[in-house]
Amino acid sequence: MRKNENIIFVVLLLLIVALVIIAVFFYRPDSVPQSIKNLSSVEVREYKGEDLSSIAAFRENSIKGPQYVNISNYKLEIYGLTNNPINYSYDEVLAKQNYEKVVTLHCVEGWDVTILWKGVLVRDLLDDAKPKNTANTVILYAVDGYSTQYPLQYFYDNDIIIAYEMNNVTIPPERGYPFMLVAEDKWGYKWIKWINKIELSNDTNYNGYWESRGYAKEGNLNESFFG
Amino acid sequence: MKVSLDKLKVIARWILFALVIAYIITGFGITQYQVVEKITLGLLTKVLSQKIHFYLLIPFLIFLIIHIYLSVTIRRNNSI
Repeated sequence: MRKNENIIFVVLLLLIVALVIIAVFFYRPDSVPQSIKNLSSVEVREYKGEDLSSIAAFRENSIKGPQYVNISNYKLEIYGLTNNPINYSYDEVLAKQNYEKVVTLHCVEGWDVTILWKGVLVRDLLDDAKPKNTANTVILYAVDGYSTQYPLQYFYDNDIIIAYEMNNVTIPPERGYPFMLVAEDKWGYKWIKWINKIELSNDTNYNGYWESRGYAKEGNLNESFFG
Repeated sequence: MKVSLDKLKVIARWILFALVIAYIITGFGITQYQVVEKITLGLLTKVLSQKIHFYLLIPFLIFLIIHIYLSVTIRRNNSI
């Protein structure tokens, strides 16, 4: 009996070692934010007496790894139920009235980062596109195929920005360059990175990438993230 | 009485061991979900890992306490 137990124990131990080796083997070097280590000289770590997290404090957990967007042919497309579909260039977005705010991102994995964000109001972009009366949903898409959805009213009831700077530094590719949504009061999976398309829709049943895999559709911080 | 305590300790130990293994695997399933989903052929998704990880906490603590209690009790009985 004792011998059998020892054998089972050794087998399970070997299983753990095998799992660790497999995990190390599959570990993606992309997930180490090496290229942003050099940014510390310009990154601010305090804003109006409030301590800020480092840009490097994020953990890489995107669906296809960091995306490197070529800004020379980049367009932010706003389309769907709109009277004036628009294709913004990167500079055209930056030319709009900008706003700064300190917001904390809370990831469902248990970590959080407090960052000074700078960007433009999503509401301003939507107003330019002139949403039709039937539009009630905003679906945001990223270059890697990620998507998430919000009620249109969310952007009119709150000052939600799409950010192009964090801690006074242009958002690096690993963090979502050129634009990342600063979705206040929402879990991290609603903070879509590498945004390239915004669709105005009336499909209230649309589920984004993680929402269709079991996370809550609303993603409110004061509620469980399990759908 | 001593025999049954010993048996109970063995059972608790193995359940605790299984819980620890499940805890580690589901932990990987959350942070390294791309890898774990691939290895498990999509069975252990990030959301499922997170749910299992979340619900394992209480059983894990209960069996940890039982394991410690039995270890201390049996050692004390043996030394008398």
